[in-house]
Amino acid sequence: MNDGPLIVQSDKTLLLEIDHARAQDCRKAIAPFAELERSPEHVHTYRLTPLGLWNARAAGHDAEQVIDTLLAYSRYSVPHALLVDIAETMARYGRLRLEKHPSHGLVLVSTDRPVLEEVLRAKKVKPMLGERVDEATVAVHPSERGNLKQALLKLGWPAEDFAGYVDGEAHAIDLSEDGWQLRSYQHDAAESFWHGGSGVVVLPCGAGKTIVGAAAMAHAEATTLILVTNTVSARQWKEELLRRTSLTEDEIGEYSGTKKEIRPVTIATYQVMTTRRKGVYAHLELFDAKDWGLVIYDEVHLLPAPIFRMTADLQARRRLGLTATLVREDGREGDVFSLIGPKRYDAPWKDIESQGWIAPADCVEVRVTLPEGQRFAYATAEPDERYRMASCTHVKTEVVEQLVTKHKGEPTLVIGQYIDQLDEIAERLGAPVIKGETKVAERERLFNAFRAGEIDLLVVSKVANFSIDLPSAAVAIQVSGSFGSRQEEAQRLGRLLRPKKDGRSARFYAIVARDTVDADFAQHRQRFLAEQGYAYRIMDADDLAAEA
Amino acid sequence: MAESSAPRTLADQFRAWSDDELARLLSARPDLSAPAPQDSTQLASRASTRASVLRAVDQLDVLSLAVLDAVVALGGRCSLADLRAHLHADPDAVGRAVDALHALALVWGSRDDLRSVSVVADVVGTTVSGLGPGAEQLLTAYGPARVAGLARDLGLEVTGDRHSDIEAITRHLTDREAVEALVAELDERARAILDHLERDGVPGTVESAERTVTRASAESPVDQLLARGLVITRDRTHVVVPREVGICLRGGLTTRRRVDEPPALATSGRDPSLVDRAAAGAAFDLVRHVDLLLDHWGSHPPSALRTGGLGVRDLRATAELLHVDERAAALHVEVAAAAGLLAVGETEEHDAAWLPTDTFDVWSSGTTAERWATLATAWLESPRLMGLVGTRDESRRTVNALVADLERGWVAETRRTALRALAELPPGEVLAAATGVPSLVDRVRWLVPRRPPQRAEAVAWTTEEAALLGVVALGGLSTHGRVLLEGADPRRVAASALAPLLPEPVDHILIQADLTAVAPGPLEHDLAHKLAMMADIESRGGATVYRFTGTSVRRAFDSGWSSAEVHGFLAASSRTPVPQPLVYLVDDVARRFGTVRVGAASSFLRSDDESALAELCHSPRATGLRLRQIAPTVVVSDVPVDVLLPRLRELGLAPVVEAPDGTVRLARKDSHRARRPRQRPGVAELDAARLTARVAATVGAVRAGDRAVASRPTAGTTGVAGGTPTATLAALREAVEARSTVWISYVDNHGSSVERVVDPVRVEAGWLAAFDHRADDVRSFAVHRITRVAPAS
Repeated sequence: MNDGPLIVQSDKTLLLEIDHARAQDCRKAIAPFAELERSPEHVHTYRLTPLGLWNARAAGHDAEQVIDTLLAYSRYSVPHALLVDIAETMARYGRLRLEKHPSHGLVLVSTDRPVLEEVLRAKKVKPMLGERVDEATVAVHPSERGNLKQALLKLGWPAEDFAGYVDGEAHAIDLSEDGWQLRSYQHDAAESFWHGGSGVVVLPCGAGKTIVGAAAMAHAEATTLILVTNTVSARQWKEELLRRTSLTEDEIGEYSGTKKEIRPVTIATYQVMTTRRKGVYAHLELFDAKDWGLVIYDEVHLLPAPIFRMTADLQARRRLGLTATLVREDGREGDVFSLIGPKRYDAPWKDIESQGWIAPADCVEVRVTLPEGQRFAYATAEPDERYRMASCTHVKTEVVEQLVTKHKGEPTLVIGQYIDQLDEIAERLGAPVIKGETKVAERERLFNAFRAGEIDLLVVSKVANFSIDLPSAAVAIQVSGSFGSRQEEAQRLGRLLRPKKDGRSARFYAIVARDTVDADFAQHRQRFLAEQGYAYRIMDADDLAAEA
Repeated sequence: MAESSAPRTLADQFRAWSDDELARLLSARPDLSAPAPQDSTQLASRASTRASVLRAVDQLDVLSLAVLDAVVALGGRCSLADLRAHLHADPDAVGRAVDALHALALVWGSRDDLRSVSVVADVVGTTVSGLGPGAEQLLTAYGPARVAGLARDLGLEVTGDRHSDIEAITRHLTDREAVEALVAELDERARAILDHLERDGVPGTVESAERTVTRASAESPVDQLLARGLVITRDRTHVVVPREVGICLRGGLTTRRRVDEPPALATSGRDPSLVDRAAAGAAFDLVRHVDLLLDHWGSHPPSALRTGGLGVRDLRATAELLHVDERAAALHVEVAAAAGLLAVGETEEHDAAWLPTDTFDVWSSGTTAERWATLATAWLESPRLMGLVGTRDESRRTVNALVADLERGWVAETRRTALRALAELPPGEVLAAATGVPSLVDRVRWLVPRRPPQRAEAVAWTTEEAALLGVVALGGLSTHGRVLLEGADPRRVAASALAPLLPEPVDHILIQADLTAVAPGPLEHDLAHKLAMMADIESRGGATVYRFTGTSVRRAFDSGWSSAEVHGFLAASSRTPVPQPLVYLVDDVARRFGTVRVGAASSFLRSDDESALAELCHSPRATGLRLRQIAPTVVVSDVPVDVLLPRLRELGLAPVVEAPDGTVRLARKDSHRARRPRQRPGVAELDAARLTARVAATVGAVRAGDRAVASRPTAGTTGVAGGTPTATLAALREAVEARSTVWISYVDNHGSSVERVVDPVRVEAGWLAAFDHRADDVRSFAVHRITRVAPAS
């Protein structure tokens, strides 16, 4: 028996006991090929997935290394079938390569004839391929580069893309590091992206993903297209780029519902890209409007399906995906892998927190009990009414009031799903509310006022979930969420994680109605954070009252 | 081997043998002693039978077979010195092989005069060396003139006596120098042909071998060879290299390659402790998997196929359950069955299904090492060729697991042979990653080269299976595997060899805030049992991951745990503080547990008058009503309403009955009524009915008879079918299809010919079912008795 910190299970999960002396070394050793699935306080769970193993292959690790690592750190013997499986899976990556051929253009090359024959016979792949150049080489229609990669991944033979990238139209971009510095992990992330060619960088909310994007642009020194989730986020990208790089106001364009500027650096929203007129994507030409040298996708885990399809045609351009989590509620992780690229950098939240780059957070679940009358109403309500009913109980409003009083003076956000409820709360608290119908100008005014400290209380709907930088927010009170969405919870917590000037820890309150579907959904939502090591403390609304 | 007097016969030799020698023979060839032979003569004759020799020969290695081959090649009788001179092998090894063959009674006699059992020439022949037949035998087909011609050509003195000429030729061809001189005379093409024929040991085909050629006149390559006796005509179109020439060409040896060197195993170095650890891991997994599988099948048994096997779908489900591939799943199932832990039984619905046996319960209570040893021993001794599962048989059907016909007599022995070959490797050496298994297959093929052809596959499967069982790991035999193979009482010793390598059971778990608990090793039995009660298992392996959910915690409450007990258990078994969310979860479940209570009652009493109900419950006269007060205003009773109601009235109450919708059901006085008995028809009526029926039947019959007569085909009628059964059948089928009425003539039980008019309904299995107009009912007629069929008019 070996006294290692790792236990390898036959279902391909790896359990890492973190109180073990060698746990840190082990974590570093397995991180390249295993996906961190859960990181609660004692035992972290990693999972070996084909995608993870291929990511490792793409990063230059081989099966021998992976197996040696497992054997070196494993406490018990490693199931034989698993080792065989790892070797086989990893051997599948790179059997097929996409290359540039001097006379035939883009070609699919394989050193392994049977594999090539197998994929050639696949119905989906066939139409994407051209003539057979020789035994080991097949021409590929250049337009199918992305689709082919997607199809090959589905067949279990992911292709390595060596076909290179177009340089794009050159445009000088520099980081202007005055008064701030690129953090070490940001530097590493940008570097490993650049060496990998294309791919995804995974960093927690608040860890400065925008700056990684800026650093990548400085590497590329070319015109860049940035795709972000919404207009507010687009503006923030713009401000951040103005502050952190040599780019000037005239060089950055916004391409959104209201403005259609195309400049050397263009920031477009997903929404405008996916707008259809008469069944046609109206703004597709943006992709060809300039010879882009780099395409940046913000919040890759939210990338809508049409953008995937458009991305399939952009395979000759460098692509950088930025995200806090590769978990997609729709399970399209494979498309991210084949179309944007493998994971190039990953740092767990807790690590960055312990380096002081994001604020520690204290998560509290406050449980309220529905009053007798509402419980009856709830019990007899239609199932599709129940969640709303439990979420919007007026008891929650009272608790919000208590909490706001308790944290008076600290910048506080109240976040919710239902507009009526938010309006009610806003009225009771006398605070401004930002919701879908709020004008962009008004939104920005309020956000700026909040950032500047002029107001310390904002009631926001889900419009503020993503990419809105509110670094000063120290307390967030969530009154309702969109059912069981795990990434929403992560995003909301992310709002708080920007480091505070005084090093205080952030507070995240989730108010949950006991014994209702609200509690069930809350549990599901919190699972992601609990798995990330953010343990929720549970509190009774009554205790809270007593405390206050 | 007896040096002194040469025995005259094999029986003589047996008589001269010591008891020990005989005993060794009988244990090496067990078929000789069943039934016990009467005397040495009978033993000798039995030992020379083809079947018995075949059995013995099948167990020999290449060297022994080459020795037998050489004995045959040397004419079935030779000395040990001859053998040593002719075999391409170390003389000592030859000596040892001869001794062994002698002990097996495949050769007998003294060292100076060894003979093979005659049937060996048949069974083994010269298959090992590939030498052709002897010159003497071949030349018997030559006429005297041709023999004389050949002798003259070889420069021998022709005696004119065909027999002595043949002898002289044979002697000449045995002389290496003479043969070399002959070969030297050949041109290049002839030599190439000779080399080819000799090397491959196959007869050469020529257009016509029946020609007389002389050494002087021979021009074509074949003629050159024929004229020198280097090849001899076997039949009209074939020539062969005589054995003597073959031996000369091989430098006086029967084979060109060495026969005493078993192929070496391709090996590489590996730390033995690593091998042991990996094997122990596999062993641990095996036991865990079998335990999990049988436990699962105890509650969800897969049905047994009619052939006794396990369905493909069940096997696939097993593979999923165990996280292994289907081949490995099949092995688990097979091993469990071999160890007697799994057998066909009956489910509650009386369907045949694969169920864990009572031995399983005994097995489960053993330690992991003991359990492993039981499984490994069962596997080692199983005669079943488990590797066949999942492959396709001759009729392209997939072979199912657990089917009956996987048993092969040689499998267990092959398994041991293969493992023993591994056991011979020095510690620290294991089979090389890619080339190791093929080299092992080659080696086993050298050790037992004869039947059956599947043996090579079986060896490869053995290594695969042994790795899954934890007998072999990383290509090397583990310590506990070695003990299993060699030790006395392997089961116990192997278990104790394995035990220290297995993970120690742990007595604690780690509970985390995401409501999972991790047992960082195999849990102690009791702890595992209790934990499985209140948490669902999420991942198994060296460690176990449990997840607490509302449902799983409620399960603990259901089986009688109290909230305090659950908290206590969690606090006692967790090495870390119990996280708050779990405490809340348990409390939440406890709070809701039992808020709704369910019980059985036959009737209820409801009253707003609480005191009246209380009084009723405590009334001594109401004890018989088994009343229970479940709320101040509700009392239930096990007595049905219709009994309860009069009794309550007797007690002076005035109850009303409530309908399911809460309304009061009014009581009406019940007055009873009897059912009107069914009237039987009167006698007169009955007779009339019967009479009518009888008459009608008779009429029908008569009419039918008339019709039959009328329909009887006359000479001129068309469409008559008869004579041949095919025609009859065709006519009947046609009538069935057309729903037409036909006339048939058939021979009844008494042999008399009868005619009927019928409406055929169906024809099958040689019977015609038809509506018989005469009987006014559907009747069956044997088709072969129907002589003629014609359309009814």
